[in-house]
Amino acid sequence: MGGKRRKNDDSDVEDSDSASSKRKKTLTTEKKDQLRPSMIKNKEKRSELHAKLKHQKKLDKRAKAKSRDAAIKRALELGEELPEKKVPRTIENTREFDETVCKPDDEELFAGNEADEFSSILHQQQTPKILITTCRFHSTRGPAFISELLSVIPNAHYFKRGTYDLKKIVEYAKNKDFTSIIVVHTNRREPDALLIIGVPNGPTAHFKLSKLVLRKDIKSHGTPTSHKPELVLNNFTTRLGSRIGRLIQSLFPQDPEFKGRRVVTFHNQRDFVFFRHHRYIFENKVVKKAESKGKKDKDDKSDNVPEQKTIARLQECGPRFTLKLISLQNGTFDTKGGEYEWVHKPEMDTSRRRFFL
Amino acid sequence: MPRTTTLECSGCPPLRALAFDALGLIKVVEARDKQRGIPQVVERWGDPESSKCVMAVSMIDRNSQPLLAVARKNNEIEVLSPVNGDIQATISDASGLHICSEENNIVGLHLFGKQKSEIASGCCTLLTCTTKGNASIRSVELADSSTESSRTDSPKTWNVCSGGNISCCKVDGQENFALFGGKGVEINIWDINNLTKIWNSKSPPKDNLGIFTPTWFTSATFLMNDDHRKFVAGTNSHQVRLYDISAQRRPVLSVDFRETPIKALAADIDGHSVYVGNGSGDMASFDIRTGKMLGGFSGKCSGSIRSIVRHPELPIIASCGLDSYLRLWDTKTRQLLSAIFLKQHIMHVLFDSKFDVKGVDSVPSKGKTQTEIMLDEEVEVLPSKRKKSSRNNEHVEDGGERKKKSKHSKKERKKSEGKDGSEKIATRDERRKSTLKKKNNS
Repeated sequence: MGGKRRKNDDSDVEDSDSASSKRKKTLTTEKKDQLRPSMIKNKEKRSELHAKLKHQKKLDKRAKAKSRDAAIKRALELGEELPEKKVPRTIENTREFDETVCKPDDEELFAGNEADEFSSILHQQQTPKILITTCRFHSTRGPAFISELLSVIPNAHYFKRGTYDLKKIVEYAKNKDFTSIIVVHTNRREPDALLIIGVPNGPTAHFKLSKLVLRKDIKSHGTPTSHKPELVLNNFTTRLGSRIGRLIQSLFPQDPEFKGRRVVTFHNQRDFVFFRHHRYIFENKVVKKAESKGKKDKDDKSDNVPEQKTIARLQECGPRFTLKLISLQNGTFDTKGGEYEWVHKPEMDTSRRRFFL
Repeated sequence: MPRTTTLECSGCPPLRALAFDALGLIKVVEARDKQRGIPQVVERWGDPESSKCVMAVSMIDRNSQPLLAVARKNNEIEVLSPVNGDIQATISDASGLHICSEENNIVGLHLFGKQKSEIASGCCTLLTCTTKGNASIRSVELADSSTESSRTDSPKTWNVCSGGNISCCKVDGQENFALFGGKGVEINIWDINNLTKIWNSKSPPKDNLGIFTPTWFTSATFLMNDDHRKFVAGTNSHQVRLYDISAQRRPVLSVDFRETPIKALAADIDGHSVYVGNGSGDMASFDIRTGKMLGGFSGKCSGSIRSIVRHPELPIIASCGLDSYLRLWDTKTRQLLSAIFLKQHIMHVLFDSKFDVKGVDSVPSKGKTQTEIMLDEEVEVLPSKRKKSSRNNEHVEDGGERKKKSKHSKKERKKSEGKDGSEKIATRDERRKSTLKKKNNS
């Protein structure tokens, strides 16, 4: 009982306080601060207030946008400098400082790149030849994914895994002058890991594979041609990232056929590597000037000649998936005696803003 | 504001370390501040070239005329001055007796620092060992200019193993014995002075499932500076083994550490702690007397550890590896003192303990502990043959005792071993005193 009474007392005090403060300040702002929907126990009243607040927020937002647009317009008319555009704060652009990020003027980095395992392929002294195989048992989505990988990567050859050890397969690939091996690992009939092994002494990268969407599940997808694709590698910034980037780069031929208009993209964002495969086309489109504007200056019709503008259109084809690096091992596949260049450890995840690629 | 976590690095006392990387560069890292210095790369020696990848290093760490030997992938050995990086001699192995190829690289290198007479004559003695087991001792004349280099006498060469690959080669503190071990090669110990094999280890028996793990030693180190009988070896099957020559040919103790091969081992100067680093970047320290893990070193090591080095005076160890960081740790608290990003895969690291900062007056001498001074003195006293044999006897008894003890319960063992350790120390001290006395008398 006593506790309850005290509570009541407190609320009384608060009420009086709030009343006094109301008197001091303006009404509207104070009300917003005071009454939050979570304070009300009655659901009807609470939702009422919530709706009201939400509406108010929307109006505020609209007013803000309007004023901003007005400011820009005015600046344009007066020929002043445009007001600074605000950049939203995201996890990526507030990334923790990382000393391993490659700098463009770092000669040691280039020397290191020259000396690494991929330089002969990237300098076109060797054409990439890829061996694709699977884990021991695979079905349904696995083979479908592999057939699509074969269409994405030129000069890729699928070999049945059989019961061979992976180390034996690596030996075989060495003898047959393959440059890389890709192993698609499936679990519960769903591809879930990708192993990229450089041959003969390249590193072994182990990726987690997720969000796989096959070609037939992509709406209005295209069918790729057999031209050599162009490759886009985005955001591989650190030392490790550049190494992974070079590993991926060594899978594809270095002389793309631009006639084919095929692009393969590996986009790194927050350590997730997104794979996309597109076909692009440049179209000349007649740009009509906005009607309202046309009405305004009807006088100079001669000026209103239909303007030619080239736009790029994209059509997605081929699979879509996401990779996340689990480990990068020095040398070819060797789980027992291998040395890791990089392994993900849970103790590294102390910050959301630290990325390794 | 974005919430950022920064690793609290407390900095380290003034020190100087040399890091050797996969492109053959030598980077000098110095911490100069008196209190909490942040180490920085001060100098870089050499040009980046993949064929110059450093395979093995060795250094004579002394006040006057320190020397540094570096074996490279193209089978060249360079003798440098660790102070300014001047090349004093280069040996290309093509002129040597054994033909070095791609597979037959130098894996072990040791510079002999004890022979004082050689310093005066301006030459140094090197022990090298290749993957195929060709070991050789040669002396090299030091030239003032880098272009001129010559070998004074033909090298003494011998074959350490008939098959397999050597991967570790160490010389004990007295520089009388060397151990070799590797993939398919049991550890064998050689007397360097008259080139005879004195001991060979034996692989441990099959386990309870009848599985025999193939021999593959990846690293080894002698436990004490003045004792060649005890050494620790790390294997590819993630085992840390303690061998005692005077006790038995099989390991006295073996401990498992995580799941990737042991890649680096370093013994502490106290004679019983061992620092272990493995292929996935885990580091820990073990008390090798009991085989207990004292604790792990956690500091976001993500790549294989290639080398661990204990500072001869300060309580600091340095580790380096494929994640291209040089890390400095406190041995007592096992905290990370500092991490320096060095851009390349680092193969080896060494401390230059005779580093003196201007303004810091004689910190190293202050840091020099009593035991080390004793050790230094002991080095000067030439160990007589009689004494050695008596020591051997002592240790044999010791081993016998240990065997008996193993029958006792654990608690008892602990207690007794604690006593044992203290006793040992006591006896050692006594011995030292006696030697000192002898010296004084003579």
